[in-house]
Amino acid sequence: MLYKKTTKADIMNQPKPSENGYQSRFQTNTKWLVRWNGAWVAATLLMLLGPKVLWNNASGFTLLAVGLDVAVGVGMVLATKKYVMELDELQRKVFLNALGIAMGVGLIAGAPLSAMDAYHVIPFHVNIGLLLIIMGLTFFVSFLYGTWRYR
Amino acid sequence: MKNRLKVLRAERNWTQAQLADALDVSRQTVNAIETGKFDPSLPLAFRAARLFGLRIEEIFHDPALDKDGSNPATERVHQ
Repeated sequence: MLYKKTTKADIMNQPKPSENGYQSRFQTNTKWLVRWNGAWVAATLLMLLGPKVLWNNASGFTLLAVGLDVAVGVGMVLATKKYVMELDELQRKVFLNALGIAMGVGLIAGAPLSAMDAYHVIPFHVNIGLLLIIMGLTFFVSFLYGTWRYR
Repeated sequence: MKNRLKVLRAERNWTQAQLADALDVSRQTVNAIETGKFDPSLPLAFRAARLFGLRIEEIFHDPALDKDGSNPATERVHQ
C-alpha cells in the first residue's frame, strides 16, 4: 500500500520543534563563527595597522598584537571545526566543497601571481591580502552555488 | 536513489521543517533528499526508517534494482 489516510494519531504525533534541535544549534554555531571571524579580522587589522597608527613601531606592542592575532586565529579555527562538525551531512558537503575549491583556487592563483609580481608583468605589488580576498570570494561564490544547487 | 519520504511525510501531514527537526537535519537536506538531489548517509537513512517504523528498503529504493527486486549487476557477477 503506497498511500494511507491521515489519522488523528498522525496529526497528534507531529514532531514538535525542539529547543535544542538542529536549527537552533545551527543558529548558535553560526553566531559564534561570525563572532570569531569578526574578532580575527579586528586582531589582524590591529596587527597590520597598529605599529604605524597606534604605537609608533614599538616592538613590544607589535609582538603582543601578533600573539593576540595568532591566539584569536586559533580560536577561529576551533570555532570553524566545531561549526563544520555540527553541520548536517548535506550542509557539510556544501561547506567542504566550497572550502576545497577556495583552497585550489588559492594554490592555482598564488604561484602565477607571485611570478608575475617578481618579473614585473603586472603594474602592482602582490601581497598575501590579495590572495586572501581571492580565496574568500571564491569560497563565498562556491558556497552560494552549492546552497542554490541543493535548495 | 529514489525514495518515498515525501509520500510518508504527506501521509502524516508533516511539514518539511517538522520532518527535518525529527531527523535532526536542516529543512534544505530534507528537501534535497525528497527531490532526489542528495542521497542520505546510512545513519540518516536508519533514522528515517526508525521514525516511520519501516525498513530502509521500504523508504529508499535503488533504481538499478529490477521491479521484482533482483539486482542485474549482482546476477551478472554470479553467472
